[in-house]
Amino acid sequence: MGAAVALEYDAELMLRVKEGDGASFAVLLDKYRGPVIHFLYRMVQNRSIAEELAQEVFLRVYRSRATYEPAAKFTTWLFRIATHLALNWLRDGRHEKGQEQLDANAGPLPMREVADRRPTIEHALLYQAKLEEVRQAVAALPDKQRAAVLMHKYEEMEYSQIARVLNCSESAVKSLLFRAYETLRGRLAHMA
Amino acid sequence: MTCPIETRENAELLLDYCARKLDAETTRLLERHMQGCPACREFRAGQKLLWDALDAWEAMPVSGDFNRRLYRRIEEESRAGWRQRLMAWASWRPALPVAAAACLVLAGSFILRNPAVVPDVSPEAVVTEVEQVERTLDDLEMLRQLNLVARVEDSSRTM
Repeated sequence: MGAAVALEYDAELMLRVKEGDGASFAVLLDKYRGPVIHFLYRMVQNRSIAEELAQEVFLRVYRSRATYEPAAKFTTWLFRIATHLALNWLRDGRHEKGQEQLDANAGPLPMREVADRRPTIEHALLYQAKLEEVRQAVAALPDKQRAAVLMHKYEEMEYSQIARVLNCSESAVKSLLFRAYETLRGRLAHMA
Repeated sequence: MTCPIETRENAELLLDYCARKLDAETTRLLERHMQGCPACREFRAGQKLLWDALDAWEAMPVSGDFNRRLYRRIEEESRAGWRQRLMAWASWRPALPVAAAACLVLAGSFILRNPAVVPDVSPEAVVTEVEQVERTLDDLEMLRQLNLVARVEDSSRTM
């Protein structure tokens, strides 16, 4: 119910953007800037690239305002653009990416205040090591499987939405997810 | 309940269960099944560990100037858009005289082929027309007088 209301509201906002309402674009940007950047960051695992791609996503949304039709959920359309850009970047930049470390430009790793209450430096180091393993395991997944896992786990998108984003059937998405989680469980089993 | 592990099409039930997306009734049925199914219990345990591990990967903070950079790009793009439209127009400029000449040639050939379609309404043409009418009237008058002379000559011959 809430999602349906949100869908209608987002589509309505986008239709207002189409009519030239810049304030509605600002609302959409504030609402989806975080999810899009986080998704892209987890896809490409480089903060500056993720932000650059996110800029391109919102530029494309703005450019497409005149032709926008609310045929699908706004988030489906948005993540379709984001996934398309991320997959293209991964395909085109894979040879270069091999030469640089994951998140090379990231600076200090992000830690929230709540998560930072670990009492000792050993715990913090353990946490970082665990996080690094998770990141490596996700990065090692095939691109489509990774995109499906990130949309399913972090964005809590439905199978039908993921299917539309990845341009495949719902059963293909379920199969992708099942295989991806199977692989991740195997790689991260020792963390138990 | 059929074991979700054994029937691939139901495997999403386990994923949804671990993601807490199942409704209460299906959750109850699945939990009852899991009590007697070691494979499903193992899957649940592994998936829960994985879920917790993925939860540890928190979202990164977004740059404070993200919006400002985006709006600057939008503005630059809209300015560049105007420039591009102007450039596109300017790039057609050398072709304009050629297009104009082609139009003239086409119009000329049309007029030559269909002179009746396009009436000549220039002032000179009007003057010429009046002169022609006057000349015709003069000619008629001359003919009338000649006829009169001829008739007089005929009558004098008969007398």
